[in-house]
Amino acid sequence: MGNRGRRRVWLVVAAMLFVVAALLMFTGQGEEPVMETPRVEFPRRMRAPERERAERRRTHVPAVPMDAGTPEPARPRDPLLAALPRGEGKTAVVIEANALRHSPIGELLLDCLMRDGGKRLDEFRKLSGVDPLQDLDRLVITDEGLLLSGNFGSAKFQELMGERVSMDYGEGARVYEPGDMTVTRPDGTTARGRSEAAVATWNNQLLVMGSSPDEVKAVVDRVEGRGPNEPPAISEGSTYGEMYGVLSVEHLARLLPPDQAALAQRIRDVAQHVELHVDASGDVAMVADVRGKNGEEVTDLGKTLGAALSVARIKAQAEGQKDLAQLLDFARVQPDGASFKLELAVPLDAIQQRLAFCKEERSTAEAAQH
Amino acid sequence: MSPVLGIAGYVLREALSRKFILAFIVGITLVLTVVALSLRIEVVDGALAASRLFGEELRTSIRSVDVALRPVYRAAAFLVFYGGILFGIVACSDFAPSLMSPGRIEHLLALPVQRWQLLTGTFLGVMTLALGGTLYGTTGLVLIFGVKAGYWTAGPFIAGLLACVGFAAVYAVMLTTATLVRSAALCAAAGFVFLVGGVIAGYRQKLMPFFEEGIGRNAFSAVTLVLPRLSALAMAGGDIAASAPLEVRSLGLLLLGVLVFGFGALALGFWRFDGKDY
Amino acid sequence: MSASSRNRPPPGSSTFATVNSQAPAIEVRGLRKTYHRAFRKGGSEALRGMDLTVPHGSAFGLIGPNGAGKTTFIKSILGIVQPTEGTVRVLGGTPEDPRIRARIGYLPERLHLPGTWTAPAFLATVARLKGLPADRAMPQRLLERVGLGDAVGRRIGGYSKGMRQRLGLAAALVGEPALLVLDEPTDGIDPMGRMEVRRILQEEVQRGTTLFLNSHLLAETERVCDRVAILAGGRVVREGRLEDLARGGARWLVRFAPGASAEALAEAGFHRGGAEGQYHVEAEDPAALNVALDRARAAGALMVELRRDGADLESVLMGTVEAAA
Repeated sequence: MGNRGRRRVWLVVAAMLFVVAALLMFTGQGEEPVMETPRVEFPRRMRAPERERAERRRTHVPAVPMDAGTPEPARPRDPLLAALPRGEGKTAVVIEANALRHSPIGELLLDCLMRDGGKRLDEFRKLSGVDPLQDLDRLVITDEGLLLSGNFGSAKFQELMGERVSMDYGEGARVYEPGDMTVTRPDGTTARGRSEAAVATWNNQLLVMGSSPDEVKAVVDRVEGRGPNEPPAISEGSTYGEMYGVLSVEHLARLLPPDQAALAQRIRDVAQHVELHVDASGDVAMVADVRGKNGEEVTDLGKTLGAALSVARIKAQAEGQKDLAQLLDFARVQPDGASFKLELAVPLDAIQQRLAFCKEERSTAEAAQH
Repeated sequence: MSPVLGIAGYVLREALSRKFILAFIVGITLVLTVVALSLRIEVVDGALAASRLFGEELRTSIRSVDVALRPVYRAAAFLVFYGGILFGIVACSDFAPSLMSPGRIEHLLALPVQRWQLLTGTFLGVMTLALGGTLYGTTGLVLIFGVKAGYWTAGPFIAGLLACVGFAAVYAVMLTTATLVRSAALCAAAGFVFLVGGVIAGYRQKLMPFFEEGIGRNAFSAVTLVLPRLSALAMAGGDIAASAPLEVRSLGLLLLGVLVFGFGALALGFWRFDGKDY
Repeated sequence: MSASSRNRPPPGSSTFATVNSQAPAIEVRGLRKTYHRAFRKGGSEALRGMDLTVPHGSAFGLIGPNGAGKTTFIKSILGIVQPTEGTVRVLGGTPEDPRIRARIGYLPERLHLPGTWTAPAFLATVARLKGLPADRAMPQRLLERVGLGDAVGRRIGGYSKGMRQRLGLAAALVGEPALLVLDEPTDGIDPMGRMEVRRILQEEVQRGTTLFLNSHLLAETERVCDRVAILAGGRVVREGRLEDLARGGARWLVRFAPGASAEALAEAGFHRGGAEGQYHVEAEDPAALNVALDRARAAGALMVELRRDGADLESVLMGTVEAAA
């Protein structure tokens, strides 16, 4: 039947159209799995590995006579935590050097450190007996000075600082007063220098550097349980991240650029407690928790900060500063009752790009050595 | 071509006289009013402090307007896309079956209109209705968001146009179903099935690992290869609305593919309709 | 499509038998239609081989019992139904050709009219779909012709059955078609209205339009058509001119004035009929008839009425169908 023939044309047309449609959609959608936009992990709470790490560090039981009847304040059993300044309003930032070393950014920083092929690092190792890449566990910066924790068993403290006045203090500490230092270089020459810092070593575990012997002695007191009963500036539950700590409000205010003086003043007025956490296990992500006594003012401050961030972002976009704009893309302020969290992230790729030169220089230097 | 337009005009006139168009406009206006009244967005120094829906604060973090509004626009785009298609399925399911009712179809078939022109005219008429409704609704949404947040974007509008293309594919299937079975309910069911199938087809890459290697996966792959990838269109609409980079390689090709699928379904309807006795 | 080309002498005139040089309006050969049910072997045979020719310009009626296939046949010549076998030629072409369909006016059995439209709007749409140029005066003209002139402003939903049927007829008349196919055109119309419709149809036939009618109202068919086909069991069992079909052979019915002698009349060949004074006589031609009449008059009978004693269409139908069954 002629009609049937005509009809069949439509069927053929339909089949062809379906084939064409499938092809178009296949090409249009694209079959490769899409690259996920980098998800940044913000350090917001303790994770299991960090908890284990904190437990492992509870090595020290301070020998303090127990008074029957008085409740025992919970003393930190981690010596470094014990060494931290006590109370509110202090600055103490802990850098987990060991953990950082094994993170991607740590590798990058290592490349930068070893730009010269590792010569200076070798020198330092021979001089001090300490391998910063192996023996250093944590580095703490406080408003009083510097604290280092790790394994300093083979450190050549005596050799380096033997000329200085030193004394034994407490149960396992040795305090060195500020004085001269003699350094023997590998080529046999010696160099003399003067150091204004007082240094204390404790049990081959801690190295304390401060501006005066009394200060370092106070630190040792805290470690050995003779310090004030206030809790340390960083509690055990806050020891998460590759870098963490508390900043005094003044320090935070000083971090802002000079054109934000009004904002800085507001921070001084409103904020009381600023806690910082940085996670560098992948991208570098920072969370700053700002607390104050007046919830409304704190929220207000958060809004202002958020506005300032977005203005900065738009400005960066407008001026073509892509990196800064990308950085600020990840910046946000999250209100949380009487406090707010400021989150900031730097994608790893951006850092890698910046520090790519270190890697190049390192490989050329190492190649030159061999 | 003129008989096609004539039939399209016939369908539109029918819709007008059945108060269909009026109901359309009223319905869309109602939705827009609800959105306008219930959504409140507080804008502070260019940063979005809080938005309220029905008086309750939505927990959002403080970011600049465009960044913070992205999820809202993306959600709006999805709502427009899927809501629009669903509404179209339900509202337009009756046109074709009522056209084919006895007494009417005989009269139409005796006219000097070819059978494929009848179907095409019906398709065109219904698509005109859909396009009109989409334009009205999305323009309203764009106005509401623009006035409330001070941030003007064509996102919902584009999502609406994408939805129209998606609906074209779905309605072509419904029309072809009407040539098989003269039932509005079955037509709507067929449309709904293909909507779901289209959503699944868009995610076929992600869903394929869930199938056992062999017949199951091959069958799934073959079927979803042909189905219109509606969810991919929806995602593209969401991406455009949120000013995010498109995840699909080429939106134009994808759109064309979905449209060609619709034409294929129509051709199938022509084949079936041409030989049918009434 | 000038009127002159469609001019033809009225039916019943002697020139009707002249050779009509125009092609037949409808010509069907060996038409078969089997409705197949899905997933079933075989099917119901609606038409079992029909041969029919509808001459151009005639008023043709199709009659037959229910289920004979009349509606199927009508749908076949309009392309609504595809024949299983056989050829269909309409107006010199096939019904699948839209140009042919443009010249056909069709009134379906259960015409669905959009209830919310007005009649002029409906007619205008039909004209548009038939591809006719816009003519603003046409709807009013047609509506007045079918007697709906004063219901122009009302919505179709408020029309009575008779009004709807007239509107359907008006729709079929749009564009002055060459062939009018009407399925039960006077269904639901009152006797006065039926007269009007008959008048319209006769006007159309006089204009040269071919009329194809399907009606259960045999009286109507008798009044309008000049050719009739009887369809039974999917086949044409009798077909021809109405007079020929309805002619009951050579029988005449005569009525004499009271006082006629029955025996004398019986001798002349007149048999008593049913009513008082009614007699039947058999005469093959006018000459024999007049001879018989002369003999009756010679016997003293006074003739007051003479007519053919043809069977009406109904008895023809009954007789035919019984014979076919």
